[in-house]
Amino acid sequence: MQHKFFRFHIHVFTWRSVVSEDIIALILALFIFIVPTSAAMRFQERSLYIDDSQPGATASYTLSWRYMSPQPVGSVDILFCNNPIPYEACVKPAGLDASNAVLSEQLGEIGFSILSKSANHIVLSRPPGMISAIPASYKFDNIINPTGSTSAFAVRLRSHASLNGTGPQIDFGSVRGQVTNGVGLETQVPPMLIFCVAEEVSEGCTQTSESNYTDMGQLNARSTLLAQSQMAVGTNASGGFVITANGSSMAAGTNVIDSIPTPTQSIQGVNQFGINLVANNTPVVGSDPEGEWANAAAEIDYSIPNQYKYVSGDVIAYSPNVSLMKKFTVSYIVNSSPNLRAGVYTTTISYIASGRF
Amino acid sequence: MNRFKSIVLAALAVLVGAAVVLPAQSAAAQSSASLSITPKKNYTIESGKSAKDKLTIRNLDNERALEMTLRVVDFTYTDDGGTPKLMLAEDAPQTTWSAKPFLTVPKSVKIPPKSSKTLDMSVAIPKNQGAGSFYSAIVYSSGTSDGGNVGLNASGVTLVFANVPGEVKEGLKLEKFGAYVPKSNGTKSDYASFTMKEPLNVAYTLKNEGNVTAAPAGSITVKGVFGQEYEITDVNPNASLALIGQTRTFTSCIKIKSQDVDFNGERSEAKTCTSPGLWPGYYSASLNMFYGQNGNNTKEIIGNSSFWYLPAWFLVVLLIVIVAIALGIWRLVVVIRGGSRGNKRLQVMADHIRLHRLLSTVFVQQDCWCKF
Repeated sequence: MQHKFFRFHIHVFTWRSVVSEDIIALILALFIFIVPTSAAMRFQERSLYIDDSQPGATASYTLSWRYMSPQPVGSVDILFCNNPIPYEACVKPAGLDASNAVLSEQLGEIGFSILSKSANHIVLSRPPGMISAIPASYKFDNIINPTGSTSAFAVRLRSHASLNGTGPQIDFGSVRGQVTNGVGLETQVPPMLIFCVAEEVSEGCTQTSESNYTDMGQLNARSTLLAQSQMAVGTNASGGFVITANGSSMAAGTNVIDSIPTPTQSIQGVNQFGINLVANNTPVVGSDPEGEWANAAAEIDYSIPNQYKYVSGDVIAYSPNVSLMKKFTVSYIVNSSPNLRAGVYTTTISYIASGRF
Repeated sequence: MNRFKSIVLAALAVLVGAAVVLPAQSAAAQSSASLSITPKKNYTIESGKSAKDKLTIRNLDNERALEMTLRVVDFTYTDDGGTPKLMLAEDAPQTTWSAKPFLTVPKSVKIPPKSSKTLDMSVAIPKNQGAGSFYSAIVYSSGTSDGGNVGLNASGVTLVFANVPGEVKEGLKLEKFGAYVPKSNGTKSDYASFTMKEPLNVAYTLKNEGNVTAAPAGSITVKGVFGQEYEITDVNPNASLALIGQTRTFTSCIKIKSQDVDFNGERSEAKTCTSPGLWPGYYSASLNMFYGQNGNNTKEIIGNSSFWYLPAWFLVVLLIVIVAIALGIWRLVVVIRGGSRGNKRLQVMADHIRLHRLLSTVFVQQDCWCKF
């Protein structure tokens, strides 16, 4: 009897698993094949051409796209926003005005006219008709460009079966636009980068010491030669700044004191040339960056106390964004081996401050 | 003759000795090395047209004149950030994106103390030039030092970008996206899928495979497991660029703190990342981004990522809770086991009684059978 029950269970269990697998597969197939055909699709080959991209200029906007869903389209909703994401709140780009827009040309899917328009909203309407596969483009004259040239804006597009841009959407998508200053017109607060270098500088760069060189004294295998210089930097550019140190190591003719390629301690009796931008104890030289603003900082490799490095072209200080004036003290150390050839060892370090892109 | 030789050798020895012992010669009057310049210029110029512009340089030094030489060099990227790598060598080959042939700038300038000068510059695009992005840098160098062991030289740089409109090849590929810890004192920047410190930034890394610079725009949404939502509406507020061939990391603050600052007498807006007040737990982030130059197709990039934010205090609390729950379960098990043992004893006793009754009955019956 027990044996019969066991065989019955095996039989039933097998069928049960087959049935459940089939059901799951069927459900997945329904998801794959049914859902996309019922969902809205993105317009393809979307673009915007502005014939005059100066901020605040009155320009013609040519919007192009390819309709995707094979359904009759009766209206197109065109919304100008800062953000291209269709489900997020729309904030009108500052200065933009489409309230006097005129539909001057249409290609591909035609028969549209402007049903309604406001500063950042246009609704095109036509008798509903099936779309064709060719790309469509619509040229609007008399649109006033946004005034902000630093950030992009977007045009959100939606097609509808209805005549007035309401009801379920058929296709959607956004295009990106940006106005730019063809010629660098100076605005009220032009970005600027302030930079100074000398043996001593004031934080605002208004005072610098007479000399732009430092004497280090006489080389000796049993001592470390030290020197300091200062630089101050600041910018109101939102991209920030970088300072690089450029130039060869100390040399006298063909004899070179090797620069330190990685952060290393000062070692007497070994040829070494290095710098850093912080206060050090061994030897006592330098000081930490001065200035309240925290955005500007010394690069990691050049901000380790008692560790020195020098690689030409390295970034030694930077700020990722706006930075008020900050003063850096550069410490120089030179060590020499006993068999270093005699000579006047010199170098010129070019500190280059630039904006970031 | 030998005497002459020894005199010459002695003289040479004295010269070499003096060179070693004496410090290098000091210089006379030095130029100022204190300047203010424009860090970046952007132009959009159609082929066959030109743009005239001004370069304003200020000498901030109160006492000394600023003497500068100007030259145009090419640049590329240093890393995945916005640091330009200037090609300063005189014999550096011209890049394919060089704007050098289009730029005209003066060769030198002298500016009195505490004053500024405006220089004329122009960008002229040849008629047959195809569409694309072209960029170079104007380097302003102060005079070199005349003495000392370590001479100092200050240079400023204006990055110049010129876009020639038309049909271009644009291609951005999303390489990474997620929570980001920017470099700070002693630490290097990196993406984080698990962090014990509250993340202030999210970032995305794009590889520019096109032949033009690209500045994407879009938004990022960060969602917590308990429904908290943080929206970054502008993922590229500085209109930062991915240069041609560059793999560029763009960072955005989850929450921005803006403040007006006085920079050199001008009012400027400074933005810094501030704590978004994230709760400990699991977060998902979604990126929706668009790019495309004027007249070209708008392309879209979508990305998803996630990260865990579990601060040390939360882990300690979690550990305490887990230990407390484990202790509670153990206690409960002990109590339940103790109870079931008691039940078993009762059952055994009941079985004994039942067996005893059964045996008594059997024996009684046996007695009866014996009787019959």
